[in-house]
Amino acid sequence: MVATEADRRRFEEEALPHLDTVYRVALRLSGNETQAEDLAQETMLKAFRSWHQYRPGTNVRAWLLTILRHTFINEYRKAKRTGTEVDVTHIEPFTVFEHVQDPDPEGTFFSQLVDEDILHAIDRLPDEFRETLVLSDVEGLPYAEIAKVTEVPVGTVKSRLFRARQALQKELYDYAVEMGYIKEQKEESE
Amino acid sequence: MTDEDPRDIDCRQALDRLYEYIDKELTPVRSDEVRAHLEKCAPCLALSKFEDSYVRFVEARARIQCAPDALKKRILEQLMFETGEHQAS
Repeated sequence: MVATEADRRRFEEEALPHLDTVYRVALRLSGNETQAEDLAQETMLKAFRSWHQYRPGTNVRAWLLTILRHTFINEYRKAKRTGTEVDVTHIEPFTVFEHVQDPDPEGTFFSQLVDEDILHAIDRLPDEFRETLVLSDVEGLPYAEIAKVTEVPVGTVKSRLFRARQALQKELYDYAVEMGYIKEQKEESE
Repeated sequence: MTDEDPRDIDCRQALDRLYEYIDKELTPVRSDEVRAHLEKCAPCLALSKFEDSYVRFVEARARIQCAPDALKKRILEQLMFETGEHQAS
């Protein structure tokens, strides 16, 4: 099917405004800017070529992110990311708050971290947790939409998001302690 | 507590639902139950405020990057090439 100028105009109006989202998610999935640009460009081209399959009125953002994700898994994931991954399996919920509630109940130490620290910590989460956290906390997708894009039940989205947030929080806290932004609270001997 | 409502939820139940509450993913009834608990329970309220500010913090900080202009330009050119509006030079 040959796309017309009218198709192109409609694509530019409806799909292209989501390029920033597509690029940011591509960046977090692939871990580097060159690959993210290639991945975003390929996603947009694939989307345009199957634009006739897109049903108007349905969620164009979720549709684009699904294409992005499939492209990444099929063509890019082979290049394995390097670096240590954050452990999400042994997470004690809400421990950071327990540590900071006396000296810093508002969590103001977070504001001393620079953007790169946060992005770097996100990048160290295992794939499926990073993906869920980025779609939720960076791009603001509702659980149902994340479930659709990542092809898992909503319950899985919830549990991944819970663990990803707690793991990231712990990671940021440890980093803040290491940098001296916050004093580590010794285990209470009550 | 003497004025216990059968719909009251305890700390564990409230914390189980905390992120869904923060993310506005609960039904109005379940959300009200969490809110009612937080109003009565200072430790859970403090934790809830901390988690809420943490989630907002991540959102604000991790959203800084945008697609480069050059990428957008390349895509637009490619689209026009696809429709035959633009010939490869």
